[in-house]
Amino acid sequence: MSNTRITGKKSSNTLVRDLVNVGIFGALYLVLSGLGASIGFIPAFIVVSTCAVSLVTSVPLFLFFSKVERPLLCCVLLCTLFGVVMVFSGHGISYGLLCVMYGVLAGFCLKLFHKNFVGCLFANVMISFVPSSMMIPLWASTEEYLAYCSSVCDSAYIAHLAELSSSYWPLIGLFGFGTAGAVVGGFIARRVMKRHFERIGLAK
Amino acid sequence: MNISLKNISFSYTDSLDDAILKNLNLEIRSGECVVLAGESGCGKTTISKLINGLIPHYHSGTMDGDVLLGDKNTADMTLAEISRVVGSVFQNPRSQFFNIDTDCELAFGCENLGMDPEEIKQRVENVVQEFHLEHLLGRSIFNLSGGEKQKIACASVSATGPEIFVLDEPSANLDLKTIEDLKEIVSRWKKAGKTVVIVEHRLYYLRDVVDRICYVKDGQIAYEWTLAELEAKGPAYASSLGLRCMNLEMLNAACHSVNRHPRSETEGIHYFSCSQLRRDHQPRDVIASKAKQSIIFSNLTFSYHHKHPILDIDCLELPCGQITALIGHNGAGKSTLAQVLCGLQGSWRQKRAARKCGTYLIMQDVNHQLFTESVLDEVLLGMKPQDEKLALEILEGLNLKQYADNHPMALSGGQKQRVAIGSGISSGCDVVVFDEPTSGLDYRQMLAVSATLKKLAASGKTLLVITHDPEFILNSCQSVIRMEHGKIVEQYPLSGNENQLIKMMTGKL
Amino acid sequence: MTINKTWGFSPLAALGSKEQQSRNLAFALDARTKLFLALAANGMIFTAPLVYSLLMVAVASILLLLEGKWKFVCTFFFVYLSAGFFFGQVKNLDIGTSGTIILASLFLMYRIMPACAVLYYVITTTKVNEFLACMSRMHILNKVTIPLIVMIRFFPTVYDEARAIGNAMRMRGIRLFSLRTIKNPVAFLEYRLVPLLVSITKIGDELSIAAVTRGLSTETKRTCVADIGFRWVDFVVWAYCIAVIVMFLYRS
Repeated sequence: MSNTRITGKKSSNTLVRDLVNVGIFGALYLVLSGLGASIGFIPAFIVVSTCAVSLVTSVPLFLFFSKVERPLLCCVLLCTLFGVVMVFSGHGISYGLLCVMYGVLAGFCLKLFHKNFVGCLFANVMISFVPSSMMIPLWASTEEYLAYCSSVCDSAYIAHLAELSSSYWPLIGLFGFGTAGAVVGGFIARRVMKRHFERIGLAK
Repeated sequence: MNISLKNISFSYTDSLDDAILKNLNLEIRSGECVVLAGESGCGKTTISKLINGLIPHYHSGTMDGDVLLGDKNTADMTLAEISRVVGSVFQNPRSQFFNIDTDCELAFGCENLGMDPEEIKQRVENVVQEFHLEHLLGRSIFNLSGGEKQKIACASVSATGPEIFVLDEPSANLDLKTIEDLKEIVSRWKKAGKTVVIVEHRLYYLRDVVDRICYVKDGQIAYEWTLAELEAKGPAYASSLGLRCMNLEMLNAACHSVNRHPRSETEGIHYFSCSQLRRDHQPRDVIASKAKQSIIFSNLTFSYHHKHPILDIDCLELPCGQITALIGHNGAGKSTLAQVLCGLQGSWRQKRAARKCGTYLIMQDVNHQLFTESVLDEVLLGMKPQDEKLALEILEGLNLKQYADNHPMALSGGQKQRVAIGSGISSGCDVVVFDEPTSGLDYRQMLAVSATLKKLAASGKTLLVITHDPEFILNSCQSVIRMEHGKIVEQYPLSGNENQLIKMMTGKL
Repeated sequence: MTINKTWGFSPLAALGSKEQQSRNLAFALDARTKLFLALAANGMIFTAPLVYSLLMVAVASILLLLEGKWKFVCTFFFVYLSAGFFFGQVKNLDIGTSGTIILASLFLMYRIMPACAVLYYVITTTKVNEFLACMSRMHILNKVTIPLIVMIRFFPTVYDEARAIGNAMRMRGIRLFSLRTIKNPVAFLEYRLVPLLVSITKIGDELSIAAVTRGLSTETKRTCVADIGFRWVDFVVWAYCIAVIVMFLYRS
C-alpha cells in the first residue's frame, strides 16, 4: 500500500486544539488556584497557601502537559493568561512579565525532557513559582504593597503582613512550600495519571 | 457536489491492523440524502469525519485511500477550505458553541471564512427567516434548551452556504417535537439541492427525505437500501440490525408482536433485595402504604421566583416495584422533579426527606457519577458497612462481574450506566430515578437498558424514568405520568392506553 | 439547568442571567474602551482610596443602566451598601480574633464588589466577535485571544460540571466535612477532580472540533459583523477615566 499515511499531524488545525486546551485548563487553573489560595486568608496559613495551590493544581497541569502538542507555546500562553488576569485585578505589569518568564522556563523543561515525568515535574515546579511570586512585592517594595493590601484586607491582617515583611524567611518559605507542594503534587499526579487517565485513554 | 470515498482504510492507532474502516467505498451523488446506520462502534461516525475533513487533518491515526469532494482531494485542502464546502452538526448541543450569545454564533462561521460584513448580515438575516429563529436572537446560549441549541447550530452552519451537510446523531438529545423541527430543516436543505449525510439510528423522522440508507458493519458498507426496500423487509428485520422503528404510528403494533414478552426476569430478585441494605425507618411524609402498593411523595414544590414555580406538585404516587415513565416537553419541570426527589434541590426539609427515603438519580451524563478507579470500588464506596461479597453479588446481577477491576470511565456507555445503577443499589435506595437513560442509543442498546430496568423493578425497586423515547416506554414501562408547566397533568397505566401515549408524544392529539 | 441561582454580582451569573437582553446599541462601547475601563477601574479600586473606587462604580453602574440591567444595579447597590454599613458598625467593636475572619471577609466583599461590577459590565456586554476584532486591530495574535475567549466561555461550564459532580457526590454521601475526607484527603481530591477533568477535557475536545469544522484557524483573517470603532461615548468614558487617574496621581 503506497498511499498509507499518518493523519492528524502537527498543523494549523491541531494548533486550534492546543489553543482551546490552553483556554480550558487556564479556566480550571484559575479556579483551582483561587480555591487553594483562599486558605491564605487565615493569617497563620499565608506561607503554606502556596503549597495548597500547587498541590491542587498539579493533577490538571500534568494532564495539560500530556495533552498539548506544543509544550513551549502552550505553557507560555497559560502563564500569560494567568498574568493578564492578575494584571487586570490590580497586580503590577512586572508580575505579568514574571509569569511569562516562568511559562517560558516551564516550556523549556518540557522540551528538554520530552514530556516525561522529570520534565513534567520540573515544569510543574516552574509553574508553582507563579502563585509564589505573587507576594514578592511585600519584600521588594514593602510600603506600596501594604498600602495595596490595606485596600483589600483589614488591619489585623495587614499587621501580620508587616510582621512577615521584616525578615526574608517567609519569602523563602513561600517558594519552598510552593516547590514542595509541586513535587509532592507531581508524585500524586503521576499516580492519578497512571490509575485514572491512562486507563481511561485520555493520556498516553 | 459529489462525495466519493475510495478504498478507505482508517485506524485510530499507528498501524492498520486493527482498522475501524476496511477498504470502504462509498459514492454519494450531489443532492442526495444518505443515512449512515449501524451499531455503535461500527465506524459510521468515522465516515462522517472523513467527509468533513477531521480525518486526515485533525484526528491522529493511520489512513489509506482518498476522499474526494467534487474533484478535490480532502488531503490537499485545509480544514478552513473544507469548511466552505462541508457544514457539520454534532451530537452534543452543549459543547458545539464557541460564542456566548446566539447572534454571534450565527455569524461565527461566516466571519471565520473572512466574508464581507454586509454579506454576512444578509446571510444571517436570511437564515433567521428561513429557520424561524426570531425569538432566539440575542439570547445567551447558556439559557437555551437542547433543541434550540441544535436549531441554532444547524442555522449557523447553513449560513456559510456549504454544498454538503454532515450531521452526527443530531437527534440524540432532542424530544419528539424538536425532532420534527429538525426534519423540517433537513428537508429544506434537500429541496435546496444540498447533499445531506446523516449518521443516525432513528429513521422515522427522515422518512420523507431519505434517499438511501447505508448500513455500516465491521468497517464496511454491508447493505444499501432505499426506505421502501427496508420497510418491505419488515420491522423485525430492521430491529435485528439495531435500527430504531421507522414509523411511530406503527410502533404499537410492532412492539406488541415482537417485543412484548410477559415479564420473566425474576432471577434478579435475590441480588438486589439484600436485607442488609433495606432501610427500616420511613420518614413522616413518605408513606409506603402496603395496601395500595405505592410510594407517595408529598409536597414537591420548587421555584426560583415565588411567582413562577418551576415545580408545583402536591402528591406524587409511584406504584411499587414498577417502572413509571415521566413524559412532557422540554422545560416542563421533569429534571427539576427528579432533583427534588433525590434531594439535590429544594428546601432542607425536602432534602432531609429525600435522604431518608433513599432515592437515587442516574444522571443523563453518567460520567458525573463515577469517582473511583475500579468498578468494584465504585459499588463499595457508598456502602455502609463495606462488604465485598455483597458488592460482587450486585455486580453479578448487573452482568458486570468480569469488569470488577476495570476503570469505570473506560467502559462503554451502557456499562457505565449499569455501574451507576450498582452504586445506587449499594447505597441502599428503594426508588431509582433515571434521567433519559436511552438518549442516543440504538435498538439493541435500548433493549439492554430496558432489560436492566425490568430486572431492577422485579427485585422490588420502584423506578421513575424521564424519557422522550416512545419505543422504550412501550417496551418497559407499566404506567405513564405526563407533566406540563411543573404540574402533573395525567397519570395512567400503560396497558390499553398505548395509542393515546403515541399520539400525545408525536403531538397529534 | 442554567446557573441563575448564583449571586447577582458574580460574573458567572452574568452569563446565565435569565432576562433577555434589550440592548441599546447607541451606548455600546468599543471593546478597547471597555478594557481600558476595566484596567483603570481595577487600578483605582485596588490602589486608591475608597472615593476613587466609588467614582469607578458610578460610571460602571451608569453604563449598566444604559444597557438595561437595572435589576443587577439595584441588587448590587443593596448588597454593597449593606455590607459597607455592617462593616462600619462592626469595625469599631472589639470582637477579638475569632471575629477577624468574618470581618476580613466582609471587608473583602466590600472592596472586591466594585471590581466585580465593572468586570460584570465588561464580560456581559462584550460579544466574542467584537472582542476578537478589537484584539486583531490592536495587533494581538490570535494565539493569545482564542485561549482567552475559551477561558471566559468556560467558567460557567466548569461551574456547571462541578455542581453536577458535587450533586452526585452528595447522593453517595461523600462530603468535604466528614470523617472519611479527614482520613484520606487525597482520595477526596481524586473523587472531585478526576470526573471534572474527564468531562471538561471531553467538552474541550468537542468544542475544538466544532470550531475547526467551522473554519476557525489561526491563518485566515477573520471579519466581524459588528462595526467597531470609537464613538463619542467612548471618548467620554476615556476622558472620565483619565481625569480620575490624573486626579489620583496629582493628589498623592
